[in-house]
Amino acid sequence: MIVLDSLLMFLIAYSTGFLYYGLYRNITARFQRRYGPPIWQSFFDSIKFFTKEESTSHGWMFYLGPIIMMTGAIMTLLFIPFFSNDESFVGLSKYGNLFVVLYLLVLGPLGNALGVGTAGNPFGAMGITRGLSRLFAMELPFYIAVIAIMSLSGSSDIATISASQTMLNAVAYPLLFIGALFSFIGMMGQAPFDVVGAPVEVYSGPATEFSGKFLALLMSQSAIFTFAKLVLMVHLFLGGADGFLELLGKTFVLFLFVIAFGSMYGRFKTAQSIDFLLKVPTTIAVLGLILATWS
Amino acid sequence: MNEGFLQEQKTLEGDLNSENSHQNSVDFLMNWFRKRSIFVLAYGTGCGAIEMPPTFTSRYDAERLGIRGAATPRQADVIIVSGYCSYKTLRRIIRTYEQMSNPKYVLALGSCTVNGGMYWDSYNTIKKLEDYMPVDMYVNGCMPRPESILEGFIQLQKDIGEGKASSWQKYEENYEFYRKNQEAVLGEKVAPSYEADWYLYDGGL
Amino acid sequence: MDLSIFGLSDIILSLKVTHLANFFASLIAFSSFIVMFIGRNYKLTKSFYALFILLTASLFLIVYAADYLLFFIGWEVMSISSYFLLSFSLSKEALHKYIIFAMASALSIFIAILILYSGTHSFLYADARESFARLSDIKGIVFVVLMLFGIFVKLGTIGFHYWLVDAYEESHDFFTPYLSAVLSKMGIYALIILVTQVVELSYTLAIIGVMTSIIATFKAIQEDSAKRLLAYSSIAQLGYIVTVLGVADGMAGALYHSLIHTLVKLLLFINIAGIIYVTGRSKFSQLGGLIYKTPQSFVLLLIGIITLAGMPPLGGFASKFMIYTSLLDAKYLLILSAVMFSSASAFLYVYKLIYGIYLGHPTNKKLESIKEVPLSFLIPQYILALILILIGTFPALIVPQLNAILSESHLHTIAFRDYATLISAFGEYNGLVLISAFGVIFGIVLLFLLSTHSKVKEVKDRFDVAYCGEEPNEATHLHYGYSMGKELKRVGFLNLIYKNSVKPFYDFIASQTVNFADIFKKIYTGNLTNNFNIAVVFAIILLWWSIK
Repeated sequence: MIVLDSLLMFLIAYSTGFLYYGLYRNITARFQRRYGPPIWQSFFDSIKFFTKEESTSHGWMFYLGPIIMMTGAIMTLLFIPFFSNDESFVGLSKYGNLFVVLYLLVLGPLGNALGVGTAGNPFGAMGITRGLSRLFAMELPFYIAVIAIMSLSGSSDIATISASQTMLNAVAYPLLFIGALFSFIGMMGQAPFDVVGAPVEVYSGPATEFSGKFLALLMSQSAIFTFAKLVLMVHLFLGGADGFLELLGKTFVLFLFVIAFGSMYGRFKTAQSIDFLLKVPTTIAVLGLILATWS
Repeated sequence: MNEGFLQEQKTLEGDLNSENSHQNSVDFLMNWFRKRSIFVLAYGTGCGAIEMPPTFTSRYDAERLGIRGAATPRQADVIIVSGYCSYKTLRRIIRTYEQMSNPKYVLALGSCTVNGGMYWDSYNTIKKLEDYMPVDMYVNGCMPRPESILEGFIQLQKDIGEGKASSWQKYEENYEFYRKNQEAVLGEKVAPSYEADWYLYDGGL
Repeated sequence: MDLSIFGLSDIILSLKVTHLANFFASLIAFSSFIVMFIGRNYKLTKSFYALFILLTASLFLIVYAADYLLFFIGWEVMSISSYFLLSFSLSKEALHKYIIFAMASALSIFIAILILYSGTHSFLYADARESFARLSDIKGIVFVVLMLFGIFVKLGTIGFHYWLVDAYEESHDFFTPYLSAVLSKMGIYALIILVTQVVELSYTLAIIGVMTSIIATFKAIQEDSAKRLLAYSSIAQLGYIVTVLGVADGMAGALYHSLIHTLVKLLLFINIAGIIYVTGRSKFSQLGGLIYKTPQSFVLLLIGIITLAGMPPLGGFASKFMIYTSLLDAKYLLILSAVMFSSASAFLYVYKLIYGIYLGHPTNKKLESIKEVPLSFLIPQYILALILILIGTFPALIVPQLNAILSESHLHTIAFRDYATLISAFGEYNGLVLISAFGVIFGIVLLFLLSTHSKVKEVKDRFDVAYCGEEPNEATHLHYGYSMGKELKRVGFLNLIYKNSVKPFYDFIASQTVNFADIFKKIYTGNLTNNFNIAVVFAIILLWWSIK
């Protein structure tokens, strides 16, 4: 039963993630006064990479790096239930909690870092350094908001947190939501915090040296990860979901906001983004924490 | 009348109305995906590169055909040789081309790649790209406008879909020929030895 | 078993076997056993081993003492024997720093013990709470400050860590794992005794611990030498334990993290010792690219790294989970955010450690002919890695022992259902499901990848990287990733940590002490007749006073 559940969750995340990426390219294109590719374009991209005749590899660690990334992404997905009150589509979430999910978010980048480091491309090391430096600054406002919400809900189980919201957490604790939203924009890889994978600037950063099927695996895990993070945010701040329509609607609205924000702004440098993230969103989140728990 | 100059021209030009070739369904499916998603290496090799930004940005929007830029040769399918190749650039182009993974396609822009073009009597440029690298599609002009480049891409997509764009196989089969020509202009150490091993001896899984 | 030795009129010394003492004693014994494996690679003299045995004996005395006097005797013997062990390889300056700080810490602990004695005229732990209650307010504060100073010097808390980094870096490779894994735990043990038997310090410990871990983590990112990086990392990890001891129910998390930290630091330092033995270098700027030459070392270091960072499939997550839920339950929310922040920053130095040594490119020709490290380095690492994987799979394995310790200190015990589920005050997780899900999904993805259409071509040469069409060669500086972390100095906020250092403060204290001592030179001039005159004057004063 768990196996079928997990498989369905994986398929839904895979197709929805890629669909959202196709919609992202279309919507960004409309912002730029042009038509974009068809919305199935991301599927085509990743399948094309699977049909490449050969893929370059730099040894067994390079081969296993993308596999660790994909495993991290799928495990993060399986530990987040889709619905607040349902017994289906829960995956393995009964055996874990929010702390497990927060740490599984970093397992993928670790696999990426190991694979890129083995290839030995110095541009890859530069991209990984940027990613890790941005990580701790980006996670701080998110951690503050999540800790506040866990303390207010009295539990670290995701289903409990999302079911116990009488009023949406985003409306009840707006400062926490705004602080977490800054981090979330960075986690989605949108400007102004998208310095990590800057394509030509740092030779595509953490995705350097991956070709063929490894790159396809990278794109697939990125889609699954996106969907998992969107569902997590919906559960934490937007009141969870009771059916597929509500889940897809809420995740899409959040995604739309994030990409609209990203298409407006330029890119911060690494030091600038760390400085900004440690000052403005952190202060907002700390204020929100104090206001929310001061009783 | 199947002889003569006009007929020869016809074989060199692309024809969007020709019939499909016959291939088995697995190959057909793979080629269908390959033609719907094309990653172009962001490398402007010569003065023709000035026409690439308009093609890929808002006004002429190549992204609606599924074409987008790629940063590294490992991720790219198509390399655009845009204009003249001096010997200095040729060395880098060949090294980059050999680092791309199969199947890879070459789109040659401008008349400099056909017969030397404006620099036909220069001491420092190559006169015929086909001697050094196999080419899938030529787009004539000096420089071709974005509309021409788009038509070149559409024809390239059609060729990929039919399985006719096989320059990468041509490179592997005739590697000695290309290598001899490259060494003649670039000297003996045209590329590091591990590159030649890649093509001359079969390695890897 | 209760031993009474030297039944002097009001001083009772005793040893007692408690569950807490057994816990730390097992850590000491296991670490000594593991560290002995690598001893055969170094030519260590008999005196070194003798001192090592003396050190271990003193550690057992510290742990099994049931009164403060025996505790202090053990502490002193530990300081002296580790001083002599360090003198085999430390430079004079680092050795002086160590002994001055060790003596200062011992002295302040002794004064604190004597102050506590003045309460009920007893050194026993059982009477300690009563003694503290009888002290006046000022005496109580002085006691706490002196005791904490002594303990924090041992733990290397920021501000008092001046001796620790140099001592770790220059000590003999055989002794450094022991230093980091075991000797620091004695400070933890002293802190636990203070917090459970005498007085509870909540926010003081929490704030000091959090500041330590944040500052030490960022300092670790800047280091170029592997041993210095691990030294700062030890300071940061001990900072977590200090933080969680500030919470009333935090002892379970503290003990769990002590266990994990001991195992991990043993693993990491033995790994580094193996690399130093094989290559003769310990700086990242001189290493690199060793992954395919020493693959077993790489995998073992990877397991150590994942545990140190606290990531789920392995054991490090269990201790972090307990720490976080204890802090969350006590509503120390901002402190918890700071601890999680420091834990996220740890990913940087953890990756720098593995990149600088194993990934990237070798920085000189000698590194291209390295073979695998000797088996005597690998065996202890395999044992430790297996234990860490076991703890990760069954995180509740030690919960029965922890419950025994907690109940004898009259604290709340942890709920226990089965060995695989770790239950805490704020949630639970199942380690077996986690690691088996990881394994199954990894296997499925691997099978899928092996069966796809594209073949895998391995590059022949390490120089075949995508380098913008250029061809890198021997002279190209391809391993510059080892200096990652330097760009953090450009962030204005973090530069506060990097600009300031404790060195000027201690230099000031040293110079003032020398100036003060100069005053006495005017009296004790070193002249023999002058000394004789002073002795005669003192004798006259003593005689007159005794006659009075």
